[in-house]
Amino acid sequence: MGRWRTELAGWTLVLSLVLAAPSLGGTLQIPPATRAKLGNGLQVIVVPTTRLPLVDFRLVARAGSVNDPAGKEGLSALTADLMTQGAAGRDARTIAEDIAFVGGTLDASSGAEQIVVTCEVLRKDFATGLELFRDVIVSPTFPAAEFERKRDEALGAIASARNDPGTVANQALGPFLLGSSPLAHPLSGWEKSVRAITREDVVAFHGQMLRPDNALLAVVGDVDPKTTITALEKAFGGWKKSGEKWPDAYQAVPQIKGRKVLIVNKPEVTQTQIRLSCVGVPRNHPDFFPIVVANTILGAGFTSRLVNEVRVNQGLTYSIGSRFGMYRNAGTFSINTFTRNETIRKTIDAALTTEKKLVDEGPSEEELAKARSYLTGQYPLGLQAPDALAAQMLNVDFFGLDPNYLQTYQEKISAVSMTDVRRALKSYFCVDDLRVLVVSNPDLAKKQLEGLGTIEVRNPE
Amino acid sequence: MRSTPAAAWMMVALLAAGAPAHAAKAKPKAKPAATTPSAAPAGALTPARFAVARHTLPNGLVILLHEDHAVPAVTFWQWYRVGSRNEAPGITGISHFFEHMMFNGSKNVPPKEYDRIIESNGGNSNAFTDRDMTAYYEDIASDRLEVLLRVDSDRMRELLLAPELLKSEIEVVKEERRLRTDNDISGMLDESLYATAFMASPYRWPVVGWMGDLNRLQRSELVDYFRTYYAPNNCILVLTGDFDSAPALALIQKYFGDIPSQTPPKPPIDSEPDQRGERRAQVRYPAENESFQIGYKAPNAKSEDSWVLDVLSSILGDGESSRLHQSLVYEKQLALDASTFFRQRIDPTLFEFAVEMKPGKPSREGEAALDGVLDQLLKEGPTARELEKAKNLLEADLVKSLKTNNGVGEQLGFYEHVYGDYRTLYEAIGRYRKVTLEDCKRVARATFVPERRTVVELVPTPEQEAKP
Repeated sequence: MGRWRTELAGWTLVLSLVLAAPSLGGTLQIPPATRAKLGNGLQVIVVPTTRLPLVDFRLVARAGSVNDPAGKEGLSALTADLMTQGAAGRDARTIAEDIAFVGGTLDASSGAEQIVVTCEVLRKDFATGLELFRDVIVSPTFPAAEFERKRDEALGAIASARNDPGTVANQALGPFLLGSSPLAHPLSGWEKSVRAITREDVVAFHGQMLRPDNALLAVVGDVDPKTTITALEKAFGGWKKSGEKWPDAYQAVPQIKGRKVLIVNKPEVTQTQIRLSCVGVPRNHPDFFPIVVANTILGAGFTSRLVNEVRVNQGLTYSIGSRFGMYRNAGTFSINTFTRNETIRKTIDAALTTEKKLVDEGPSEEELAKARSYLTGQYPLGLQAPDALAAQMLNVDFFGLDPNYLQTYQEKISAVSMTDVRRALKSYFCVDDLRVLVVSNPDLAKKQLEGLGTIEVRNPE
Repeated sequence: MRSTPAAAWMMVALLAAGAPAHAAKAKPKAKPAATTPSAAPAGALTPARFAVARHTLPNGLVILLHEDHAVPAVTFWQWYRVGSRNEAPGITGISHFFEHMMFNGSKNVPPKEYDRIIESNGGNSNAFTDRDMTAYYEDIASDRLEVLLRVDSDRMRELLLAPELLKSEIEVVKEERRLRTDNDISGMLDESLYATAFMASPYRWPVVGWMGDLNRLQRSELVDYFRTYYAPNNCILVLTGDFDSAPALALIQKYFGDIPSQTPPKPPIDSEPDQRGERRAQVRYPAENESFQIGYKAPNAKSEDSWVLDVLSSILGDGESSRLHQSLVYEKQLALDASTFFRQRIDPTLFEFAVEMKPGKPSREGEAALDGVLDQLLKEGPTARELEKAKNLLEADLVKSLKTNNGVGEQLGFYEHVYGDYRTLYEAIGRYRKVTLEDCKRVARATFVPERRTVVELVPTPEQEAKP
């Protein structure tokens, strides 16, 4: 996806982004982005920024835990983890040593629908960085001993995660809300599914998914675009395109109906993690901007309705927020918080009452103006660092957003009207159809949760 | 931390709870203003290339200014020279409680107004508390600087400390404690480590405070604490980003210049005696894996050796190629994770190790492996290549810490406060570069002495299954 101005190894200046910021005194100049499509179909963006002598490489492959085969959940994460553990002529130790020696970082990790490889080096180490970055993407060797070790570590990490109440909550929420969708399971998979993964699975997954025509690449930093694209063509020229069409691994998830309650058993905690959730929207939804503004009013920043009522007025929690998790084909909405075990119901009621009031009555004009100013003011701050800018630019293409998304973000936020926000609140912010999840001591939680819906108690997976 | 509501699910333990956040201490550095044609090579950090102006107002307020016009925004940091080291038994956690109350009303800015003003002007604010400091910041568009100066000077001048807000906000802090310490294994171990390692140093109590003290803090204690520590002569202001120095300084003077100074606070007393033997403690809690933390007594930031300890921390614990990872995680496959933590502090502190074992592997095997790594380092020292690698990593970390106005301001505030002079940052890379193989051996031998260590071990107790 994405609109690439040049084909093959050509390069050209495409646009100079000037962000006119309605709430700002000045304008943020993003240096011109140079886009190219390499001979093998790999789409690249180069953005020179000279503020610091750093170079950031970022590759996003359209692959993730949504592509995990049933029964082998965790495959994408394990594959990404193994990409840095042996590649081309280097073993795991040499890769780690060589990138550290130049003070750089090299990382590969999987998300739900992106495998992201990043490398950050000082400008003088461009060549070393590019070679390592390329090798772990194109030529990982997946040595058998490293496979055994990393799978073992993945199992240990799954066990370890059961000790963190927030992680337990987040991981249990997926299946509770999304059922059997490929989006539902944790990135790490389950103990049983990770045990079922073989080295051959990893090799096949990499071979199928990590292909130039299934990936996007950005280089942001103290570089010259022309020589950088030449260097990329040279480095990645031998990476073979697949020519395949990758079908969507998952579809939209139907909205839930009614209320259900899940208590995940954690008898030792003195504080209960709470998630109030329903199905949300995909990332490129036409109501994206109204949703972002409405969600800011409900549950982002320090002056949101939820923070004001649940934290400031009632002192029930240290942190409360609402968020939309947005993916290519589906999404989630959740209110996330925690409170001491004695005030679980009070906190849930306060959060839902606050949400319902906002949905029913809408925000004040002042709140709407504040949310728009906050979002437009924050926006340039998130683009300061070269690695952050690289991530933002690739997301535009990954999600198929308006190619002028970065330039027009502030304008579009500023254009969100009261009507838009009220419509978004009524359409996407669930109150009655809800999944209520707590991680707690069931003996204390059950009584408090009575009347909210059918209650199920489970152990952490 | 004061918290970031929307991001809370991704937050790792940060400074507030005193938990390790970075493998190496962050150091600042800078980058030339946007008018400079090309950035300085790493290492060329000089006053000429990275200009900072330091001013002191008659009331004792220190002001650091660094212009950088790359983004039309500014960051305004306020570093108060107060942290949990300034507390005493009975009022532990009061410094961190202030971090919360500074957002809850001052003379001319009623409760809830501070955040409303910042956010409706497109800004964000947050703060952290550590053993040595309490630091506040805001990021905002360049043309809104005066908004910050108005509300930030107001809360330095006269904080409200309204009784009803003290009452609700202390509950928020208690939830923060439950989150980061009472329900978090590494938080529990960290708290126990400092309480066991130190007998007299104010570093022995947790930054967030003991729950019992949070339950008893009195408003009168807060009023006294505010007058003593929230005075202009106990504060460093750091302004970085897109502004012109002369008018910005005039504005700061206008808002902060007439706030009266106070009698300087008495320095905290550190009567910590020499440690004469290993100390051990246990935490029993339901858990899947065994884990432990070890702290060796280490010198403060005034010591030349503290630069060498940064280098040793890198060699031992920075990344997959470090000695700990190579031995415990890679070769012996005993641990899921093995890391070091060392932060330059005002008082003598700890050089920390943290290890989480793999399922079924006992901590004693991890301890033995860690001892093996240290024994070898003491005997042979690092290799020349390892030393060079550590220096490269530390230099690169410095550069990376300067990606944003916020990061630049944090580094300047840190150096000015902890080293007493922001110009130390110009020397930082040179100090690392000067470290020799012999220095590494000497400082490792002086530091990694079993008699001067404290070991805290998690002893997992069985987890209870849910009743059907």
